[in-house]
Amino acid sequence: MKPIQVNFMVNGKNHQIVTAPNRTLLSVLREDLKLTGTKEGCGVGECGACAVIMNGEPVNSCLVLVGQADGSTITTIEGLSKNGQPHPLQKAFVEHGAVQCGFCTPGMIIASKALLDKNPDPSDEQVREALAGNICRCAGYTKIVEAVQAAAEESNHE
Amino acid sequence: MEEFEYLSPVNLPQLLQFLSSPGGRVIAGGTDLIPKLRSGALHVSSLIDISHVEELRFIREDAEWVRIGARTTYADVLESPILARYAPVLLQATRLVASPMARARGTIGGNIGNASPAGDSMPPLLVLEAEATLINPTGQRVLPLEELVIGPMKTLLAPDEIIHHVSFRKPPASRGFSFEKLGPRQGMTISIATAAAAIELNASQTISAARIALGAVAPTPLRCKTAEELLLGREPVEETWKLAVEAALKNMSPIDDVRASQEYRRKATGVLLERVLQSAADLAKRSADQ
Amino acid sequence: MSEKETLIGKSIPRADAWDKVTGSAKYVADIQTKDMKFGLVLRSTEHHALLRDLNTVTAKQIPGVIAIITMDDVEGSKYYGPINPDRPILAHDKVRFVGEPVAIIVAETLAAAGAARDAIQVTYETLEPVFDPIQALGPDAPPIHPDGNLLAHFEIEEGDLEKGFEEADLIVEQTFKVPRIYPGYLEPEASLAERHPDGHLTVWVSSQKPFNDREHICHVLGLPVEKVQVKVATIGGAFGGKEDSNLAVLAALAAWKTRCTVKLVNTREESLLAHPKRHPAILTYKAGVKKDGTLVAMKVSSHMDTGAYGSYGIAVSQLHTETLTGPYRIPNVRLDTYLVYTNSPISGAMRGFGAPQSNFGSEGMMDILAANLNMDPITFRQKNIWRSGDRNVTRALVNQPESLQKSLDLVKEEIKRLEQIPPAPGMRGGVGFAVSVQTMGLGHRVPDDSTNRLEWQPDGKILVRIGAPDLGQGLNTVAAQMTAEALGLPIHRVEVAELDSFVSPDGGVTCASRMTYSVGNSLLMASQKAIAVLVDAAAELLRVDPTNIQYQNGQLLRLDQPGLAPIPAAEITSRVAEAGKILSGEATFSFPYGPGTPDHLPLGMPHVKFCMGAQVARVEVDPRLGIVKVKEIVAIHDLGRVIHRVNVEGQIEGGVVMGVGFAVTEEMSLKADLHWVNNLTEYLLPTSMDAPPVIKSVLLEYPEESGPFGVKGIGEIPLVPTPAAIVSAVENAVGVRVTSAPIKREDLLAKIG
Repeated sequence: MKPIQVNFMVNGKNHQIVTAPNRTLLSVLREDLKLTGTKEGCGVGECGACAVIMNGEPVNSCLVLVGQADGSTITTIEGLSKNGQPHPLQKAFVEHGAVQCGFCTPGMIIASKALLDKNPDPSDEQVREALAGNICRCAGYTKIVEAVQAAAEESNHE
Repeated sequence: MEEFEYLSPVNLPQLLQFLSSPGGRVIAGGTDLIPKLRSGALHVSSLIDISHVEELRFIREDAEWVRIGARTTYADVLESPILARYAPVLLQATRLVASPMARARGTIGGNIGNASPAGDSMPPLLVLEAEATLINPTGQRVLPLEELVIGPMKTLLAPDEIIHHVSFRKPPASRGFSFEKLGPRQGMTISIATAAAAIELNASQTISAARIALGAVAPTPLRCKTAEELLLGREPVEETWKLAVEAALKNMSPIDDVRASQEYRRKATGVLLERVLQSAADLAKRSADQ
Repeated sequence: MSEKETLIGKSIPRADAWDKVTGSAKYVADIQTKDMKFGLVLRSTEHHALLRDLNTVTAKQIPGVIAIITMDDVEGSKYYGPINPDRPILAHDKVRFVGEPVAIIVAETLAAAGAARDAIQVTYETLEPVFDPIQALGPDAPPIHPDGNLLAHFEIEEGDLEKGFEEADLIVEQTFKVPRIYPGYLEPEASLAERHPDGHLTVWVSSQKPFNDREHICHVLGLPVEKVQVKVATIGGAFGGKEDSNLAVLAALAAWKTRCTVKLVNTREESLLAHPKRHPAILTYKAGVKKDGTLVAMKVSSHMDTGAYGSYGIAVSQLHTETLTGPYRIPNVRLDTYLVYTNSPISGAMRGFGAPQSNFGSEGMMDILAANLNMDPITFRQKNIWRSGDRNVTRALVNQPESLQKSLDLVKEEIKRLEQIPPAPGMRGGVGFAVSVQTMGLGHRVPDDSTNRLEWQPDGKILVRIGAPDLGQGLNTVAAQMTAEALGLPIHRVEVAELDSFVSPDGGVTCASRMTYSVGNSLLMASQKAIAVLVDAAAELLRVDPTNIQYQNGQLLRLDQPGLAPIPAAEITSRVAEAGKILSGEATFSFPYGPGTPDHLPLGMPHVKFCMGAQVARVEVDPRLGIVKVKEIVAIHDLGRVIHRVNVEGQIEGGVVMGVGFAVTEEMSLKADLHWVNNLTEYLLPTSMDAPPVIKSVLLEYPEESGPFGVKGIGEIPLVPTPAAIVSAVENAVGVRVTSAPIKREDLLAKIG
């Protein structure tokens, strides 16, 4: 299988990868770039644990072939804090008990960020709609919604 | 995932060139294809990735028509002022597709081309009486959308042909549209029954135009022309809708599977159809009053 | 004493939360070593078959393949099981379920391993399968194991059943069915094993029982305990499903045989097929009541489907039997639980461990009986529910049953409140409730010890060498909290160590609603010892009698010279560290079964500590589509003492949503084409839009005197009454009584008028 060359920016850094085209973005992020914060929960886009931001939108990286990411700008959970300062969502998730086992957390925060970037003042229902693609088995979603609302409020007061 | 040759055309001419060699399978968002490649349910020798063919991603209007490029994502649909104005029923359906992540990647062309009987973009496009423009290395052709999809996962697309865009005439402002979906759970769900309807009322408040489309209850998404004809001239009331449902039920041939039985899909579709007919009629009435 | 504010009851931030929100927490699949090899498991595609031949010749020749391991490579015990060792490490003569491990392929890359796996030729001789536990006990059923399909039968008999039914004014019978439920943790099972040049193994696990994993690994490889190091990575949820050592054993075997580092990670499909799930069951109840509502007799026959292998089935069916009658006084009972093998995927430990199944039946019966008597369901329960001094059908004395009456009072108020809320247009609203009981501990005569150790660090901090894993529920946090409280230290001066079997003591298996309880008790005891050794060390250094030294909040006071400034612990611990010593206190807490514990039942019965509570559900039902939307759950639970409120609420909210899934969407079933549901598009976990938008936790504190700070358990009970409460609410909404879970829309539609 002929390898392909892919260029993309991840968390502000440019990368050039030469690899087999039948690999997913998820696998390249985790294995080649060692960014293991993004998780594999199901491999078929049914759990959201692999969510990253690609060109401004949340995507399941298990459903992006590496070639499809060529020329993209990608943010993973590792890229969320700025200058050592945690993102309001990260802070809110910690403070509101929205983190239990933590496996859904990176994808959940990514999807939450994508929501707040588009809709800075969502209703609870809108938060739940935006997170419908992220399964959590530990927390029952209640504190996750609270955390997103708290982060929204904090960001709106800045 | 098995090995394949990966081709990534950067523009339409290059895409058409790749299409002229046999054995290539087009991939857009990948939300349907990649799970199949991963499980081995699908084998391809080469993948033609249209992710970077920007010419296929557009939403345009002219005086009469609205055109949606095949690579338009569900997320693009949700953000389009043109579609919000001329095809709110498509936004209604799109909002309920899977998850935000799937909507950022899934495309209209992909959804149509995948030809799942449960494809959510189809019923709205059918009641908009959309057409599909197909292109191949030597030319193009236009087909009514309902003729394009011929069976579960089967279209009339030739091996060297892809959907370029779908288009529909801007509907009269007084026509009301509605869509409803039923899935086995509330969030991130496949459809086990969908219904879309369009209703137009004349001055005497009887139905002057009706369009009905059902999804997930037959080998392909269904336009129910018999049911539509039955509605003409009648009042937009419950008894009328029940007639339409009775007629539409005759077209349905739903499957039995782990998510729902045949019987339930029939019953549920009937309920959804009544509801969308009523909503569409209410919207038609409201716009007539304005 | 001190005016220090107590830490108990404070929702301190979890220490592990920052690593999780930044993506730096390491789960097993995240561990990457330079020379890591990849393992895949070849699994049975047959439900029930003789394994005639396994041809690996072509597969072995694929470039990149290092080894293909079969049962022939197992030099130690060839069978294992947490209770009865009926499970082959790798199938060798027979396969009993789809997904059963047959061989392990180890290769340089996952792709090579995959190609090799596809190239292995297995010859099966299909045998007739059986999937229903009642059918499996029939005379014509194919035998799945040599000793037949009945793995165990547990019975409880009290009073005189016949006489009881004679006294009854009304007798009601009903059968209930509960589904096969998948634990659904987000992190699929994974294990990484490394064989070191000196011959010892390090095995990274995502497991509830690292020390048992070690035991199994040692048996299978024929190694002594000192040669196997088990390390626990961050765990992405477990809920009972990670009490099975399977993947750890396979990884260890692969590493041992190849002398390489091998990583094994299950796909979601493998996880669904091959890892233990909740026991489905068919429960048949027959109950007798007097017209004034007094329960006089109850007979229950339950068939539990344990799947192809026993796993924890024996223990699950015991706890199930003990809870079949619910928290009610019934003088005449006969309870029988049959634990049956079928060719279904393995049933084993899962949150609730038999109690959710019995609750569905017993609470359903309570509602049906009340309805038949024309009696208010709360009044009916108040009449029969446990009171102080009451015993369970096992004769075990119940702790703090007064909480149940309080719960019922609160239920009444909540029902009144919720009934005021109008449903959405077109929907029919209903409110219902259910009471619950869950047991704590592993059962009488099952060793149930938790050993944990506290080590003074040179800088005066305390390191908690916890011996039981945190599954994500926050055990490490409350362990640190209780330790800090006991030692009078600020929370940031207490750290919890990672679990490493070479260093950590055996804290027991994380399960059975007793972690805060047992680990907490052990740490309180260890704190006393840690204080004592610190005082002794100080006395030695200061050359005074230890009685002249008093420990207080991280400092040492000279009682013989009260004018002297307190000595920070660090002064002592640093000097001790310089001498190369560690001051530590270690203690073992044994789950208490006093001399009065009933001993007429088999090993493992009875359980002697109970958690109790009740939940109220508000639902809206679409009467034309049969859709049930759960709009609010009020969860009333007695936990003795709230150590960390946010953690407790987290357990409750997560448990409630698990209960909603059980009631409305989740079922792992065999499809018409004889394939199991094995993916998340067919096995439907509740999303944020399926979860009730409102979950209200009401925490009661009826202290359990044997618990640290009065604590009881909360880990399992939050999902126990939820399904029955929802069923009750649905009946209130549309007049249909559902007797099997999950609620099927078609069944509702068929019965709604």
